[in-house]
Amino acid sequence: MDELLNQIAYCVEFGKINLQSPYPPDMKGQPGADELTKEALDKGVDADMILQKGLVVGMEKVGIKFRENKIFVPQVLMSAKAMNTAINHLKPYFLEGNIKRKGTFVIGTVAGDLHDIGKNLVAMMFEGNGWEVIDLGTDVSSNKFVEELKNRPGSHVGLSALLTTTMVNMEQIVQEVRKTAPNSKILIGGAPVNEEFKTKIGADFYSPDPQGAVEYLNSIASN
Amino acid sequence: MTKKDKLEFLFKGKKIETFKLFRPILMHFAARFSNHTYAEFASDYRILVESNLKAMEYFDMDMVGLISDPYRETSAFGAKITFPAEAVPVCEAPIIQTYEDVKSLKNPDVYQNFRTRDRIDGAAYFQKLLNGKVPVIGWIEGPLAEACDLSGVSYMLMQLMMDPDYSNAVLDKCIVTAKDFARAQIEAGCDIIGIGDAICSQIDRDTYDLYVKDRHREIIEYIHDRGARVKLHICGNITHLLPSIKEVGMDILDLDWQVDMDYAYEIVGPEVVRCGNIDPVLIQNKSKDVVVALTQNLLQKESGRKHILSAGCEITVNTPVENLLAMRKESYVNKI
Repeated sequence: MDELLNQIAYCVEFGKINLQSPYPPDMKGQPGADELTKEALDKGVDADMILQKGLVVGMEKVGIKFRENKIFVPQVLMSAKAMNTAINHLKPYFLEGNIKRKGTFVIGTVAGDLHDIGKNLVAMMFEGNGWEVIDLGTDVSSNKFVEELKNRPGSHVGLSALLTTTMVNMEQIVQEVRKTAPNSKILIGGAPVNEEFKTKIGADFYSPDPQGAVEYLNSIASN
Repeated sequence: MTKKDKLEFLFKGKKIETFKLFRPILMHFAARFSNHTYAEFASDYRILVESNLKAMEYFDMDMVGLISDPYRETSAFGAKITFPAEAVPVCEAPIIQTYEDVKSLKNPDVYQNFRTRDRIDGAAYFQKLLNGKVPVIGWIEGPLAEACDLSGVSYMLMQLMMDPDYSNAVLDKCIVTAKDFARAQIEAGCDIIGIGDAICSQIDRDTYDLYVKDRHREIIEYIHDRGARVKLHICGNITHLLPSIKEVGMDILDLDWQVDMDYAYEIVGPEVVRCGNIDPVLIQNKSKDVVVALTQNLLQKESGRKHILSAGCEITVNTPVENLLAMRKESYVNKI
């Protein structure tokens, strides 16, 4: 069983989606996260075990390598695709409550900003680390965040911005979220923001990379 | 001595008694400085040119540029572009997703599409107003950036990993239009062509070498053959790409604030003019005194090297005028 879970983690780490996928070239013709996850479930491996010992392990390695500039966005996207393929097999178990999520993370690119790559990378990392991710997309208003949080008490929030003109919109969202969900942690990220800006607008955490954000909320969830 | 003369001296490495050259990238800032919306700036070459000239005169900049947004060529290829009043134009949806889409994609006539034509007309208008005395920087989208504009960023980056046929086909289409658009701007009067290939900072060096490097070199050689120089602009941290980029032959390399200027000098060598690289967010948010200190520190490091003072990327729209002026004034005490 451990071998199978290691193989799933390896497929996620290196972005091997399925048997047909030509990527990575040195795994051509080999089964990917798709087939191996199905095989594990067929053999009776616990779905939560597949998530924790397979997908989470793989995505954590991806996050660390990305932070260390050992891999770049295309490789992360491939890993995320492999992870999503595996997660599709686990969905029924999530719905039945057989897999416990670490929590819910509501993420969006803030109002006025249509950039989604950074936001998507963070969302993928959270999903691969066992969080339920509610991706509100781009150009998200404070109202939209607030409405979502009303429906999902206890959730945490991620705000992304790529532009100096839109990062200022984070402040209003932080204020509105605080009124509705004072216990929610608010994380910010994106090219123009930094630790100083986080403090200025009253957010809880800034990370220059997705893995830092995941590690922060993992530590909150484990307490 | 004209501003064009000064730039030539810088390229040739001649020591002359003149100020450090100063040319931050201006787009939204220039529009606002002239009381225009960004939609007006991006859709009317007269407004773009006149806004740049006003900023050039006020801040004593040494070049002017035609950059506005990534979607000139994308529009010419057939994508629908919208113009929010105070934001960068938006491409509504990618227009290619399959190899068949790429094969049927026609390279546009850059003189016929209103957006590419607008920039070409801008180059001619600059020349008319400046009489050839100030270097004019035209602009084209680099091949990977354009491929992402046409295909969608995530999709294209994954295609680089999964589908070499698709990737090569779309990149080849993009360099045809890149050359056409560069040629048209040079013929209209541009002295320099900027190549914006922002997304390259997000790919690894092997992928850059496999798909982009030779195409950058091909476009740069094409521009050189037509008598213009090349400024390569890749937003973000390109430290990992510098050993490859040094081989593509650009004349000016923009360096964003994440790149160490000393390291870049060491890698690309003394002949490449490096342009940069103060963090534009700091120029916007910090006091004038801090901006002066950052400028002094940079100029000290760059003393005696081929360097143009600039921010790492575009001057942000909300940058205080006094901060940009402070950068310029500080550069008066340095010689090129």
